[in-house]
Amino acid sequence: MLEHDRGDLSSSGGDGGSGVGLEQVPEGVVVTVRGALDLALAPTLRRMVDRAVRLRPARLVIDLTTVTFLASAGMSELVLANRQLDGVVRVVVASRLVMRPLELTRLTDELEIRASLADALVDG
Amino acid sequence: MTTTSSGTDRPAPEVDVLLDALAATFTGVDGTPVPVERRPLRPDQVAGLRAAGADVLVLDDGQLADLELPDLELPDLELADLALADLALADPERGAGAAVVVLHEQGGTALVARGPVGTAHRAAAEAVVAATSGLRRALDALRSEAAVIDALQSVGRQLTAQLDIDRLVQEATNAATAGVGAAFGAFFYNLVNQFGESYTLYTLAGAPRSAFSRFPMPRNTEVFAPTFDGHGTVRSDDITADRRFGRNAPYHGMPEGHLPVRSYLAVSVISPTSGEVLGGFFFGHPEPGRFTARHEALAEGIAGYSAIALDNAQLYERERHFTRELSRSMVPDVGPVPGLELVTRYLPAATGHKIGGDWFDVIPLPTGATAFVIGDVVGHGVPAATVMGQVRTAVRAYALLGQGPGEVLRHVSTLLDTFAEPTFVTCLLAVLTPDDELVYASAGHLPGLLLHAGGAPELIGEAMAQPLGVGHEFPERTAPFAPGTGLLLYTDGLVESRSRDVGQGIEWLVEAVARLPRPLTPEACDGLVQTLTDGRYDDDVALVSVDHVGRRHP
Repeated sequence: MLEHDRGDLSSSGGDGGSGVGLEQVPEGVVVTVRGALDLALAPTLRRMVDRAVRLRPARLVIDLTTVTFLASAGMSELVLANRQLDGVVRVVVASRLVMRPLELTRLTDELEIRASLADALVDG
Repeated sequence: MTTTSSGTDRPAPEVDVLLDALAATFTGVDGTPVPVERRPLRPDQVAGLRAAGADVLVLDDGQLADLELPDLELPDLELADLALADLALADPERGAGAAVVVLHEQGGTALVARGPVGTAHRAAAEAVVAATSGLRRALDALRSEAAVIDALQSVGRQLTAQLDIDRLVQEATNAATAGVGAAFGAFFYNLVNQFGESYTLYTLAGAPRSAFSRFPMPRNTEVFAPTFDGHGTVRSDDITADRRFGRNAPYHGMPEGHLPVRSYLAVSVISPTSGEVLGGFFFGHPEPGRFTARHEALAEGIAGYSAIALDNAQLYERERHFTRELSRSMVPDVGPVPGLELVTRYLPAATGHKIGGDWFDVIPLPTGATAFVIGDVVGHGVPAATVMGQVRTAVRAYALLGQGPGEVLRHVSTLLDTFAEPTFVTCLLAVLTPDDELVYASAGHLPGLLLHAGGAPELIGEAMAQPLGVGHEFPERTAPFAPGTGLLLYTDGLVESRSRDVGQGIEWLVEAVARLPRPLTPEACDGLVQTLTDGRYDDDVALVSVDHVGRRHP
């Protein structure tokens, strides 16, 4: 199953659009965010996470590999997701651009962050 | 019989059949068929005949001359796209004859017979007209219906996209007045001011304002009442002959100097949401019998769109006013603090009218210390603004109780846990003590800039703790803050508007501030916002600049 939800295209950072996709994999659910994860896209991420929560996944990976901007509205959603599924959520961060805001807010202490989707899907 | 295609396209096959059939009805006085010539009409001739517009019409001399058939008199019969004109020879002396004109989609064709003819062709033409007159009426009705819908569609689209009330009402008045063919039109509309009082304004089309400025507002007389009370449309071929007209003092009719009105049409504008009468359109024409049922339908349609547009515009205006007021009331008054140069700014997002969740505060404490606060509640709009108001007050209250920055933030974060909606608030709180020490704690807020008397700005408070509503431990740090030292606190709108990379944005800020003369002036701070955001901040921006300029306790 593969679902996509488009956010506000005007909020994209010139990368052809922002959006959130959801995919069921054997290990659980992967929610992939593209473009600018800001106030405009945050509600879309929330809807996708809610959908993922209803699937009761053993693992929820929020993949921010192709995120070009992480605003506080986006970080707020990451915290919410993590609290809904304690110990289940992993966040994939592959760029400095996304890591920096997470460091400034010390969400790195709370979120389980991995460098790649493959890393996030392995056990342990 | 000859056919030519010059100037006019060949008629469609069914028209060909009709032309052949009609041509066969031309007979001589003895009842035998006579030769008939097909003559295509030029577009201007066709247009001349069509413009007459009625089913049966008699052309005047001018129209005859335009046809360039000078020897023909034209008692013309026209039907729908197939229109006929029976042409009789004007001068029997020069050879009796006749012609029938058929107007069709491709143009027009005259069937011309030379020589004396009987009346059979005339009867045939009349029969065709009679047989198709129902169709013709139906087509006419459909066409005018389509014209009304077209006009409404374009007016509606224009009006409902307009949020500026002044422009909206003028555009509506212009469109409606033109649409119904009135000599002049007026739109009286009610608005509600900020104190909830209703007042009436009007716009005009087709007449200067001076034409009405001497008269009082129309009152609920018998003529006007149905419109202002929302009791339906009033349409009169001659309002001066209406039994409701002229019954009210002082004027008993139109006041002297009023533009002459015979034809009268008035429709109410009723809010689709509240059912309230928002106003009315009034149209006049000095000649009687000008407004038809079609004009009435068009006016009612435009009134319907105007009601939606007025509703939208008033809601929008109310929302904007509310946002402006709320946002202004949220910005604290910062009084002077001895020994400190302070610049504070709150700038709502330059794009859109939304209120944001950023705030700043400067709080003189009973101990002689001064607290500086910068914060950002995630989100926009009223929910973010109300949370911000509560958080700002909580910070103030705990700080005034004498708690240190770490303790204040811890209490506020605990308070946020009791809110129904999860919240995410970043905040940096710095307290300047009477002995020139800066004690600060940060709940996930962007680093502040500590500006030393000489040398590069230093980032302080970076990644000290999690945001309020997330973390619960907020360690404090201390830095010396001697005269000559400065502090700059800001929110993300300043460093994330131009670059989506917050690291890059902070670097630019540090470079820009390093170049500025100290103490920072209000102009320098405004320039900083301009430089860092290119004037296009899509998020709100809050900023506090503190410069320690001398002895604080003289």
